Amino acid sequence: MDDASRRRSPRRILIVDDAGLVRRFHRDALEKAGFAVVEALNGVEALEKILAEPFDMAVVDVNMPQMDGLTFLTALRDLEGPERSLPALIVSTEAAAHDREAARAAGANFYLVKPVRPDLLVEHVMLMCGGAR
Amino acid sequence: MSEFPSVSEEEFRQVSEFLYRRTGMVFGETKRYYAHRRIAERMAALGLADFAAYFHRLRTDSDCEIEQFINAFTVNETYFYREDHQLRCLTTDLLADRMRSKPAGQPYRLWSVPCSTGEEPYSLALWLLENWPEVDTHEIEIVGSDVDTACIEAARAGLYGARALMRLSPALVEKYFEPAGPDHWRLVADLRDSVQFSPVNLVDQESVRAHGTFDVIFCRNVLIYFDDASRRMAAENLYESLAPGGFICLGHTESMSRVSSLFEVRRFADAIVYQRPRGKAHG
Amino acid sequence: MPLVRKPPANAAATPVAAPPRPQAFDAAALTGGSDDERWSAARAAAAHPDAVAALAAALPREREPRVRSALFNSLARIASPDSAAALLPHLRSNEASLRSGALDALRAMPVAVAPLLPALLGDPDPDVRLLSCELLREQPEGEANRLLAAVLEREPELNVCAAALEVACEIGDRHLLDALARCAQRFAADPFLGFSIAVARERIEAQRAGSRE
Repeated sequence: MDDASRRRSPRRILIVDDAGLVRRFHRDALEKAGFAVVEALNGVEALEKILAEPFDMAVVDVNMPQMDGLTFLTALRDLEGPERSLPALIVSTEAAAHDREAARAAGANFYLVKPVRPDLLVEHVMLMCGGAR
Repeated sequence: MSEFPSVSEEEFRQVSEFLYRRTGMVFGETKRYYAHRRIAERMAALGLADFAAYFHRLRTDSDCEIEQFINAFTVNETYFYREDHQLRCLTTDLLADRMRSKPAGQPYRLWSVPCSTGEEPYSLALWLLENWPEVDTHEIEIVGSDVDTACIEAARAGLYGARALMRLSPALVEKYFEPAGPDHWRLVADLRDSVQFSPVNLVDQESVRAHGTFDVIFCRNVLIYFDDASRRMAAENLYESLAPGGFICLGHTESMSRVSSLFEVRRFADAIVYQRPRGKAHG
Repeated sequence: MPLVRKPPANAAATPVAAPPRPQAFDAAALTGGSDDERWSAARAAAAHPDAVAALAAALPREREPRVRSALFNSLARIASPDSAAALLPHLRSNEASLRSGALDALRAMPVAVAPLLPALLGDPDPDVRLLSCELLREQPEGEANRLLAAVLEREPELNVCAAALEVACEIGDRHLLDALARCAQRFAADPFLGFSIAVARERIEAQRAGSRE
């Protein structure tokens, strides 16, 4: 893909959450803002997707079956290729204040408390991607 | 927009999420159409016009509906050179990787489990002979195992119909098979001798241990039939059956994401496979 | 040919690196020795219901992910009231991987978990209540809906209601509709909850519209 077509094509966001409602809600907001969205249901699937296709960033829930969001993040940062630097926004509950510090230590770029308002999500994703395109 | 009036997009979403949770099957872009169609077909076969009734049946697994649904996906899928992208990955990447890791002189052990009626393990043998330049310089052991002993007996016999051979070129059929009656061919004796067949129960630790350790395992379209507890058990057993750094390949609608986080995801040009970590050799 | 050779009939299929043989349950082996030894011991413990205390004690100290996973799996296979009780504290853990490991294990033992659910859904910690909603999926539909309705009626935390709604979208039946309406009133301002309730309603209404078997 040359620079010109890269500028025209939407930024690709990976949403990682085992909750289908959350994935859909976030997808709607991001697609409306011009992003392309792919979904993964837990950390293992997220790693598969990241290795298979290019992404501009990932929005990752913490509590997921099989592989939680922080374990995923650590595994992501441990990868050998360029994917390891994928910007990651971690989402968790207010009550889980310890998750915030753990997310920072694991290499998160940003941290938001759920439920994430659509406008706030879009704002952060825009910021971390440098725009929707 | 739904191509199947009996199943809306919302309903399809509901059923695929459920199936993922229960079986681990994933329907990527290319599979969605087939999954959608299967649901519509099952509803028609059961005489159900109402999706909610079908979903309830699926959720409660009435008359093993989950198995019925899965079978619709995997039936007629045992033939030679099925999912050849994994075979390509084997000779292009996996064996080379194993070569770098193994002490010299040790055989390569490949496991096809479940092997069904033998198409998969024999395909491994055929493919290696035809596509691996190093095939003469290494010792390769291919094992085919299944829980169904009737399948194993059929596999040993090595007798196949036209459908099983549909992906093989006439030249390959000519080279490795002998005509054996109308519309049947038998694999030549040398090829039949190159695969060991054995019974196995993937959920039984001892049954699996008895087979030793392997460099590459093909475990396609069986974990989706297991319940959660059995899947975890099988995953642990398969992990033990892999040499450190060994690889395991699943079926085309399967992902390790619903099975286990024991394995590392590895992406190669032709396939995504899973690897048992090499272990803490490096500090 | 044959270029691909079968080993001679009298040769055993010796593995390249034989995994350790399974031992009878040895509590000390759960915490000492190599990764492989602890892994083997953790797996072997599944056959011993009295191993629960030792498995539970080993969990927080175990750093190797696959051994930890084997500890959880063995507790899940034992599936006794004791093993369920042993897993509960980890739902509160500060470590995400312990929480998700415990939840995965509890998910696999619906019978042992059933009597614990009312208390879990009323736990003082909202994150415990949130995770516990997930456990309703494997419960009998009638009881699960009853407990879901209670959450939707009374739960003050939005995120816990969201978790309940996620489950309602799979298992919800018409008995949930009143509770959904009241939940909508309680959280009228939140767009995500409004969205989730609408989806749950749509799925439940679709059940009512069609004929059931």
